[in-house]
Amino acid sequence: MPAYTPCAPISDRAHATQLDVAGDLLTLLGEVTTEPRPDIQLEALTLAVAADLPVLLWGEPGIGKTAALTQLAESLDLPLTTVIASVHEPSDFSGLPIIGDDPAEHGVPMAPPDWAVRLVRAGRGLLFLDELSTAPPAVQAALLRLVLERRIGALRLPPGVRIVAAANPRSSAADGWELSPPLANRFVHLQWTHDHDVVVRGLGGTWPRATLPRLDPGKFAEAVAFARRAVCGLLTARPNLVHQLPTSETRRGGAWPSPRSWDMTVRLIAFATAAGSAGDVLSLLIRGTVGDGPGFELLNSIDRMDLPDPEALLADPSAAELPERGDLRQAVLDGVVAAVRRQPGKSRWDAAWALLVKAVETGAPDLVVVPATTLATLRRENWDVPASIEQLAGMVSVSQGADRAAARVAAKAGR
Amino acid sequence: MTDSSKLDSGKLFAARLHAARARPYLATALYALHIVESRRVPTMGVDRYWRCYVSPVFVDRTPVEELASVLVHEVSHLLRDHHGRSDRFARAHNLSGPAERLRMNIAADAEINDDAFGDGLVQPEGAVVPATLGLSQGELMEDYLRQFRLGSLTEDMAWLDCGSGADGSDRAWELGPDGADGLSEQERDAVRFRVAQGLVGRPGDAPQGWRRWADEALHPPQAWRDLLGAAIRSAASGSGPGADYTYGRPARRSAGLPGVVLPSLRRAPPRVSVVIDTSGSVSDAELGSALLEVAAISRAVGGRRDLVTVLSCDAAAGVAHPLCRAEGIPLVGGGGTDLRTGFAAALRARPGPDVLVVLTDGQTPWPTGRPGCRTVVGLFRRQRSWSERDPGYVPDGPPDWARVVDIGMSV
Repeated sequence: MPAYTPCAPISDRAHATQLDVAGDLLTLLGEVTTEPRPDIQLEALTLAVAADLPVLLWGEPGIGKTAALTQLAESLDLPLTTVIASVHEPSDFSGLPIIGDDPAEHGVPMAPPDWAVRLVRAGRGLLFLDELSTAPPAVQAALLRLVLERRIGALRLPPGVRIVAAANPRSSAADGWELSPPLANRFVHLQWTHDHDVVVRGLGGTWPRATLPRLDPGKFAEAVAFARRAVCGLLTARPNLVHQLPTSETRRGGAWPSPRSWDMTVRLIAFATAAGSAGDVLSLLIRGTVGDGPGFELLNSIDRMDLPDPEALLADPSAAELPERGDLRQAVLDGVVAAVRRQPGKSRWDAAWALLVKAVETGAPDLVVVPATTLATLRRENWDVPASIEQLAGMVSVSQGADRAAARVAAKAGR
Repeated sequence: MTDSSKLDSGKLFAARLHAARARPYLATALYALHIVESRRVPTMGVDRYWRCYVSPVFVDRTPVEELASVLVHEVSHLLRDHHGRSDRFARAHNLSGPAERLRMNIAADAEINDDAFGDGLVQPEGAVVPATLGLSQGELMEDYLRQFRLGSLTEDMAWLDCGSGADGSDRAWELGPDGADGLSEQERDAVRFRVAQGLVGRPGDAPQGWRRWADEALHPPQAWRDLLGAAIRSAASGSGPGADYTYGRPARRSAGLPGVVLPSLRRAPPRVSVVIDTSGSVSDAELGSALLEVAAISRAVGGRRDLVTVLSCDAAAGVAHPLCRAEGIPLVGGGGTDLRTGFAAALRARPGPDVLVVLTDGQTPWPTGRPGCRTVVGLFRRQRSWSERDPGYVPDGPPDWARVVDIGMSV
């Protein structure tokens, strides 16, 4: 929210009216400061708008969707046009019929409303369709043509215009607003919630100022390659995720996966990568485009893309760098053992042992136990146990400690 | 006794290995915990960033098998999002102060402990189970919170402290959001998702509580009241009945545009028929709550009371009653179900309904053809019936032309 510049006090004027005095109080109330604070919702919104995808903000009334849009328009330097859908009629969006001299000769032109004319004349802008959920179905239908085909009456919105819509969640929507699956599939759905701390601090006079993502042209080629690899990698392994119409009542009206929304996902991943956004932002965007389930699967597979490739590790165990986090390290070691099982060989088996030794030396020994046990079972008769296995002593004592505990538990249970 | 000022990490790792072997489906979560040695934590506690603070003295004096149980317990707090749920509960019920947070920690412990132990894990000394509080087991933290106050039963628990990961209130020894090695929200979600996926994929002998958790982590349930409301509203206000634009009457604006016909907004209240399955398998409480809901919703969409009709139906359809009071509709029946007669009776009415709402447990034959109006089925979901003689037997689900809302699942 912009800081107010206080104007000179006027109340000491001789003939101050009661309203002037009230104006002073209002000025004082308007004096707010801002502080930088990361805001992942706003960052996700900015990226989706920058990627030229229509965004639908879902949120309870009165939690600052409009304020966020104002800030976004300011930072993108786009003029903001707010259209409150519920106070309009369908003809406001499909065009008002204007009768000329001879309708039979010239037809009846459909005149666009003034805000559309101004938008087209400016050539760029942020169009905010507020209160979609309280508009009657016919108005919603007219609006959706505007969103999808970017047409208002005889006018076509120029490419520089970006569209954001807002709707109340179905639980608080008073009317029958619901997106049909084809329409839901065209939006990036962002859940807009308020942060308790931000609101309390804002009412105290300090609102957050989000630093918005900047796209780095140097990263573009890499970002596009990464985005394509991430989505294609997942869809190759899980073909049934490509298209899943929502069937259950719970998922109706929300995001769902289809080739179109996967294409949007590629675009959003590339934008988020080029902007260097955090994983939380990417998570909001991906889940808002293809839905929670497929979104989590994609995020999961992106996480695994960051893990070292088992084959590369086996090729050069001495140079291996294992992840610090226990669960990721466990996933890598399991992957290495699985690679050896898939394609056994003495040198690969030895390399795997070297990796396990390295894992014990650089981290918690307990998560090496299961891979080591599995690896031992892969031994062929003529393979000698490598000398380095001595260094797994730490792991063995941990394993024995656990065995003894298990035996005690079993004894107690049997008693 | 060894030097108690230093963390015996070998012992802790042995405990974690034992825990991961006893509960393989929690291994990912156990390994994702970042262990932080801390002299200020009384025993062991977690924060919401998946750090696990461990007191060296506690590790030293506790046997490995008990440490393993405590680790599983702490990681359960994180997987079940007890900190987030505590915060939400505190906000919704205007609760504050350390005593309330202690109560949340106790309730969260009760939710976890009723099926966390046994089967390879011992129950640690002094673990809070629902029975300690005199409550029945198998419920959620929020349910327990409504059922007990701090008092004589909980006196011994004042020392209890599982950290902010259990009750959402920050502790002095915790590293906070800016400290090292915490998991970001997205990473936490990813771990939770992976554990849930593993549970659903290979349930094995995982207890019912964990399986339910996994199902809900992957497909979070929604409030059925909202869903039923949305389904009926959408059915009632779709094209046809409800409010929409029509050329049947000129618009207010027509005066300004002579010679032009503009459509005007017209509202026709929808007629709603409710068919209720009164066979023995549906409980009165379930029916009552669902019926009240339907009545409230259909009034909200503009249906006047005389436009809402209720029909009770078991094997034969009962008499249609106009809904004159929100309660007190005689529900007769109690035998087996054949909802087809109910459908037929409701559709026979003249003028016919715009929306048909069917409340049933689904153990019934369904009409083969699509009825002439929009249909919403409120389904009291039962344990899927399964027959040993015929394992392939599945009762027919509701037909796909109906919108189905699951009713009565706790949220």
